[in-house]
Amino acid sequence: MPKSVKESTGDVSRKTGFRKFSDVGISTYLMLSPFVLLFIVFSVYPVLASLRLSFMRYNAICNPDQSPCGSVGFGNYATLIFHDDRFHKALSNTAIYVVGAVILGMIASLSLALSLQEDTKSNRILRVIFFLPSVTSGIAVVLVWGWVFRGDGVGLLNAMLSVFGVHPIEWLATTWMAIPILIFMSLWGGAGFGMILFLAGLNSIPAMYYEAAVIDGAGPKQRFRYITLPLLRPVMVYVGITGIIGAFQIFEGVYLLFPTSVGSIGGLRDMALMIVPYLYDSGFNKFRLGYASAIAWVLFAIIFIVSMINLKLTRSLEDLK
Amino acid sequence: MSTLLSKAEIKRNDKLMERSGSFKNPFERQSRASKLRRIPIYLLTVVMIAPYYWMITSSLKSVKELQVVPPTLFPKKLIWGNYYDTRFNPTSFQQDVMQGLFQRYPDLKFGFFRFMMNSFFVNISITCLTLFIGSLAAYVVSKHRFKGKKGIYLVIIGSMMIPWQVGLIPGFLLMDKFGWLNTFWAYIVPALPKAFIVFFLTQYLTSIPDELVEAARIDGATEFTIYFRIILPLLKPALIAMMIFTAIGEWNNFLWPLIITTSQDMATLPVALANLKNSGAGNIGTQGVIMGASLITSIPTIALYFATQKHFIRGIALSGLK
Repeated sequence: MPKSVKESTGDVSRKTGFRKFSDVGISTYLMLSPFVLLFIVFSVYPVLASLRLSFMRYNAICNPDQSPCGSVGFGNYATLIFHDDRFHKALSNTAIYVVGAVILGMIASLSLALSLQEDTKSNRILRVIFFLPSVTSGIAVVLVWGWVFRGDGVGLLNAMLSVFGVHPIEWLATTWMAIPILIFMSLWGGAGFGMILFLAGLNSIPAMYYEAAVIDGAGPKQRFRYITLPLLRPVMVYVGITGIIGAFQIFEGVYLLFPTSVGSIGGLRDMALMIVPYLYDSGFNKFRLGYASAIAWVLFAIIFIVSMINLKLTRSLEDLK
Repeated sequence: MSTLLSKAEIKRNDKLMERSGSFKNPFERQSRASKLRRIPIYLLTVVMIAPYYWMITSSLKSVKELQVVPPTLFPKKLIWGNYYDTRFNPTSFQQDVMQGLFQRYPDLKFGFFRFMMNSFFVNISITCLTLFIGSLAAYVVSKHRFKGKKGIYLVIIGSMMIPWQVGLIPGFLLMDKFGWLNTFWAYIVPALPKAFIVFFLTQYLTSIPDELVEAARIDGATEFTIYFRIILPLLKPALIAMMIFTAIGEWNNFLWPLIITTSQDMATLPVALANLKNSGAGNIGTQGVIMGASLITSIPTIALYFATQKHFIRGIALSGLK
């Protein structure tokens, strides 16, 4: 048998009429290679290179021919963790934002799912409306919110409040309001997505359990507490983890609503500075590429640890029962 | 066995009892109070719709009306000036006349249409190519046996845990090295290897019996015939779901396009929007134009969502809960 035929996978052995299942040759690699090659170059390499860069000094001054200049060991990380006040501000802002957005988001999506659970026509329409922000361009929506929270009389919120005689408030320039505003925007934009996941979870609970509970005399509250909540736990874990990961990566709202003068991000006294905007600021405004890579790895470490804790916590909670 | 029913019977019963999931207790009456309880939902609905309403109506207001304090809820007169103002004359300034959206960017060929074309081109290319190479890889990973398969699959799955911003800086440097900044290459090529698509399609394919593929092989079909004739048709529901997700995600992508484009003509709609906002910052007169541009940016994904709503919801449930 000629070699080329043997290699091609369409070949069937003349003797037996069968071919071993594992006998897949060149076509296997032909079909796999486009993805794997692109994956190595554009997914694996950047991550590894970013780890390498995070140990380098690499900025506008020290790179005459576009190459990093010298290792600083853990220098970037040490600066980030011990000396960089802006980074600390970004971290604490992000932490507050993530806690607020994820917890309130869970509550909002679950309550929406429960109240829109029944399959009626009006509920179907409402579900679509609540889901709409998930498919709308984030930038477009942020621009509308920018108008809503404008500081002058043309701002929508101020206009509404002026009916009650309230003077215009500088929403986006009041330091303590930045994060609540961003949390509100994330609720508006994300609650519908969680709602759909919770609805799928609710639908997979057999009605039999509820019927049995009713026969045993359980009220609505008890049914919720002892049937719905425990059976929804997997969905909650999923919504929680994806919500946390998404919330840590907030960028657009900060970038557009909280610019600081020229070439910086974060708003007045960095009131809205978050991790990814700070990464962008360090890398593309200040051109400190090694430093920005270190920020990226800190972000990864945080997300990784938080997801693991979340998983472990829910597991051990399940073991408790 | 202690149970009276066999496991299969229990399962069948379960399926029979499974309804839409909503359960109404026949012993509890629907009261007027439960109708009152719906009021907060309706109020929230207003909050949900308000931004869209504002986007649409403001884009149809005149410059004069936009400046009114407090803003008007209903436009007094609907005008198209924010999109195209026939009175606009680039050589002479007139009060209350705005440069319409499609009159801006005079140095750009096609003006604002250019951004729309960029967005569509980038989006369609990414969606088609990424699904093609992703499904090829998923087929091989799920139905072929070869050395190192498990390792490759593990790396692909593991990469999903890493936030994509981790590779942002080297990704940018790579584009710079390739000379791809401000080109479509930088938009499309790095977006092609999507681990989630391979993961999702592989999971989907494991539920399809291997015998189907083996039978085709025995009949002498080549691997590519099997892929096109058997795998692709079977994957159709999963592919549709992934297509919708990819298309919407890529359309709304912002950070990556922001860093790889410096020249205006290569901007996609979200980047063009952000630039438009930054250029006319604070000036209330330009808000109508900005809202018009926002609306144009939002419509395609919303339309796609409405057109594919059934697949969409099923896709979310599939990808989220499996």
